[in-house]
Amino acid sequence: MELVVLSSFLAATVRMAAPIALAALGETISEKAGVSNIGVEAIMLSGAYFSFWAMFQSGNVYVAVFAGILGGAGASLIHAFLSLRCKADQTIAGLALNFLFLGLTSFLFLMQFGKTTTLPSITVLKPVALPLLSNIPIIGEALFAQDPFVYVLYLMVILLMVFFYKTEWGVILHAVGEAPRAADTAGIKVHAVRYLACTANGVLGGLGGAYLTLVKLGFFQENLTGGKGYIALVAVILGRRNPLGVLIAALVIGSAEALQIRLQTLGSTIPSQAFSMLPYVVTVLVLMLSMGKGHDPAALGLPYERDKR
Amino acid sequence: MPTLRMSKIDKQFFGKMANEQVDFTLEQGEIHALLGENGAGKTTLMNILYGIYQADSGCIELDGKPVSIKSPKDAIALQIGMVHQHFTLVPTLTVRQNITLGLKSKGYPFVNAKELDRSIRTLSERYNLTVDPAALVGSLSVGQQQRVEIMKVLYRNARLIILDEPTAVLTPQEVESLFIVLRRLREEGHSVIIITHHIDEVLAITDRVTVLRAARNAGHVVTRETSEEELSSLMIGRKLQKIERKPLPFSFASKGLQLDSIQSKNGPLGPLSLSIPAGSIVGIAGVDGNGQKALAEVIMGIRDIESGTITLDGKPLQHLSVKERKALGIGYISDDRLKDGLVLDMDVRDNFLLSSYDKREYTSHALIDTKRVQQATEQAVSLYAIKTASLSTPVRYLSGGNQQKLIVARELGDQPKVVVACQPTRGLDIGSTEEVHSILLDLRSQGCSVLLISSDLDEILTLSDKIAVIYQGTIMDVLDHDKVDMTHLGLLMAGSKTRRSV
Amino acid sequence: MKRTILSFAVMIIVILLVSFLLIAMVGSDIPTSLASFFRGIGGSTCAMAEVLVRATPLMLAALGVSVGFRTGFLNIGAEGQLYLGAISITWLGMTFPTLPAPLMLVLSLVLGFLSGGLWALIPGFLKAKFGLSEVINTIMLNYIAINLVGILVRTSLKDPTYPYPMSPMLPASTNFLQLLSPTRLHAGLLLALVCAALVYLLMFRTTLGFCMRAVGLNARACQCSGIAVSKYVIISSLISGGLSGLAGVSEIAGLHHRLIEGISPSYGYLAIIVSLLGRNNPVGIVFASLGIAALQVGSMSMQRSSGVPTSIASIIMGLVVIMILSRKSLFRCKEA
Repeated sequence: MELVVLSSFLAATVRMAAPIALAALGETISEKAGVSNIGVEAIMLSGAYFSFWAMFQSGNVYVAVFAGILGGAGASLIHAFLSLRCKADQTIAGLALNFLFLGLTSFLFLMQFGKTTTLPSITVLKPVALPLLSNIPIIGEALFAQDPFVYVLYLMVILLMVFFYKTEWGVILHAVGEAPRAADTAGIKVHAVRYLACTANGVLGGLGGAYLTLVKLGFFQENLTGGKGYIALVAVILGRRNPLGVLIAALVIGSAEALQIRLQTLGSTIPSQAFSMLPYVVTVLVLMLSMGKGHDPAALGLPYERDKR
Repeated sequence: MPTLRMSKIDKQFFGKMANEQVDFTLEQGEIHALLGENGAGKTTLMNILYGIYQADSGCIELDGKPVSIKSPKDAIALQIGMVHQHFTLVPTLTVRQNITLGLKSKGYPFVNAKELDRSIRTLSERYNLTVDPAALVGSLSVGQQQRVEIMKVLYRNARLIILDEPTAVLTPQEVESLFIVLRRLREEGHSVIIITHHIDEVLAITDRVTVLRAARNAGHVVTRETSEEELSSLMIGRKLQKIERKPLPFSFASKGLQLDSIQSKNGPLGPLSLSIPAGSIVGIAGVDGNGQKALAEVIMGIRDIESGTITLDGKPLQHLSVKERKALGIGYISDDRLKDGLVLDMDVRDNFLLSSYDKREYTSHALIDTKRVQQATEQAVSLYAIKTASLSTPVRYLSGGNQQKLIVARELGDQPKVVVACQPTRGLDIGSTEEVHSILLDLRSQGCSVLLISSDLDEILTLSDKIAVIYQGTIMDVLDHDKVDMTHLGLLMAGSKTRRSV
Repeated sequence: MKRTILSFAVMIIVILLVSFLLIAMVGSDIPTSLASFFRGIGGSTCAMAEVLVRATPLMLAALGVSVGFRTGFLNIGAEGQLYLGAISITWLGMTFPTLPAPLMLVLSLVLGFLSGGLWALIPGFLKAKFGLSEVINTIMLNYIAINLVGILVRTSLKDPTYPYPMSPMLPASTNFLQLLSPTRLHAGLLLALVCAALVYLLMFRTTLGFCMRAVGLNARACQCSGIAVSKYVIISSLISGGLSGLAGVSEIAGLHHRLIEGISPSYGYLAIIVSLLGRNNPVGIVFASLGIAALQVGSMSMQRSSGVPTSIASIIMGLVVIMILSRKSLFRCKEA
């Protein structure tokens, strides 16, 4: 009996962690290149809305996912433009983006679907159990009987680990974020690399947002992401910008959320807000505990200008 | 036909000409010096050649063919390589990763470490440049990092190699090693340009010299046919003022600054003992990165010490804050004036009073007394001849020399008892350098204890009463000014003499 | 100079065009919508008072944000600090209902300031002593504060006579003076203006302000000059949070008179935009808060009369900030 509870708790953890992990991986790529994007909320929201809208219109999952990716990339490219071309303060640019997309997605949603009492909904993606792997006791079901997005997540973690640590591209990305001047004088196009990193951020963040509508909820509403983008930023720091570390960090945070839901269903006189607080309190505590370790890319958040004397 | 010809190059920054109608030619297989004092335009010219800047007008020809160099990538493709004064290495990557950064080697995009290490070793043997491909660049000494920089350039098949102030950070022995490498490069058919302001280096290693002064050509000579006097007068345009450091006829009552067996994890530094008597200049000679900055910051209180004592005229300092130490009369000129010494976006007044704003003489009724602030700043500006458009100009827009003079006015103007001066004339033109030197000598004759930390051996030798050599955080030996032997000094700087017992 | 004027003109035109476009997309009539917008902000004394009422918490919170920004403390937590201020005055009013009004006023301001200040002090301390990024910490504390309100209005601060989650009506001694009956304009506005003047004096005319600004511009140079960076970061976070806390006090004491969820429609985040528009300067902040408040009030009026959704305000605000950030670059203005 306990094993079943544990297994379903783990499964819930993975489900909670997936959108955060996807967005966090995207932000990791961006931050390794030296661009810090607080606007992950905007990217996820954009991905969530556009994938929902596309799914509603076309009924085709692939089209919907593609739309989500485009939505996320679009948001990220605005941030890239502000940070790289306009050399704006990246924190403010991110916040502005969050406002813009909060309003934009609400507006578009209202326009498309009007004010109805019943939320328009779509059928969510069903989980697909991987043969053999899903039969592993306890963790098999939790890890390998999930929806396709989760498998994409696993694949991305593996790909990124190889990319960062085994290829020249990974070295270039690292150099651009640590010592852009060194990269520039070695003939690397610093801005091109950063733009690509921002695009990747948008793609993955858009996927994370699409997960929320296509898999988790099946509907869209104003401010659907409710802070998940910020939590993804925390996962990036906790995971020390290492793809595997980020996944684990997201799982830790996801477990707090899963715990919250479980405690709520147990029913008690304690207001649900006490449980809603849990993930945020956990992240603050873990941030405090991780202090002093880890190393930010030296050029993080700093615009690069070749002509700077 | 010359390998390189740059003709009538113009370049301006914010309305100021950095290069004005400059011509430069380089023959194949020669070592050519680009000589001039700080601010003459040498680095700008080479940055244009390397594609970091684009000239406003003028043209560049390689082997007779006009070329357009819009970025370092173009320069590298044209087989031009540059070793910058401030190294362009990524400290968190290995030597191999830095050397091969951005290159498409076999098996791209995957990294074939063994293959790359092999080709690095081959190159290394050919040019006599020993490097360890697996070492993290951040852990290497400055001399070793420079070798990595040169390897980087050679790995990309550079035929024309530019070195910007290569000896600024080396011991005399390392300079000799570098010269051997340069001669090897010449043997292998490379052409080398050295940017420098050290005349003795020019005479030691180069074939021809082009002199720049105030953004223009000042002269062009063959090294064999010229002399130190001729180069010096071309470079400065007038006779070099010889600084006279006479021994003082009187002594002072104060015991000066004493450091006793200090140790700091943050450096690391120590065990270190040093005495800086009142009315003297003690020069710290050493290769950059051997604890100079730690020493300065430990005296100022910016870094902590775990054991040992620091006393000023017998009064212990180690438990006092930076603010308290400054109040006792310790002035600090940091080696990084832009990061440590000034708030660039604040104006001249604010920077002048950076540490003094809470002094009672500048406040009235808890508000800042703007009139007194204005007066004090005006006085300082005129006393130290600081050129600025107005007192409200953000300090960012002052020239390097004037910025440094502002710092000098602030730190040294209030009759300090101790002065810690790190690289006080780095990046300054001759005029400003002479001013700073005479200020330090004046302070010395007023009884101040001056600690001069500089990688410019000429400066140390000219100004210091005693010269202490620092190596890996400890003092190797303290030499009297009259008893200095250059070879001995060089050995000490490289850490190879037995340590003097403390 | 010409380019600067051109760039501002283009900015304004773009914003107007986008607004018209959005209004048209919803199917509303542009002239009618615009008319209702302007009526909503200036058509009557009530309308103008409403703008001032909305500007008050924005002004206070933005002043707080600006003090933090200038010290290099990116306070994204104004939202949470505002709620802490609101909680504190609610607790005060419920626990000591019999205090005379003048004493209640002083205590509520002090307590509100301290509560908001302490909420910002946590990330401020973590930044000063451990170098932890305050951006994430302040955002997390926002969510914690909002949930805290939710818990309190259902438990210890709950009104026992109502089934809904809210505190009881607070005693009249906590109320701010109503300035212009029958409008909602209250003395909170005066508090905000006084704070603006005080912040100006503090930041630009006192040594404390100078040191905070220097730390924000170059903390390393301050360290080398003897200015204690940690000390000023901490003081700055305290003041920053305190002013936002006052915003919370003002909303309760002047407007709602009881604690409920959602008293802040993202004032804390809007305050950051206000501070940016006002260039982190008290005078600019006063005007910018009026501007943003007008945008909000006007858009609500547009929604009532013409059905234009209020999300249009968010879009416009995001767009305004983006345009400000990109203006110099896009128009190649060479300004100092």
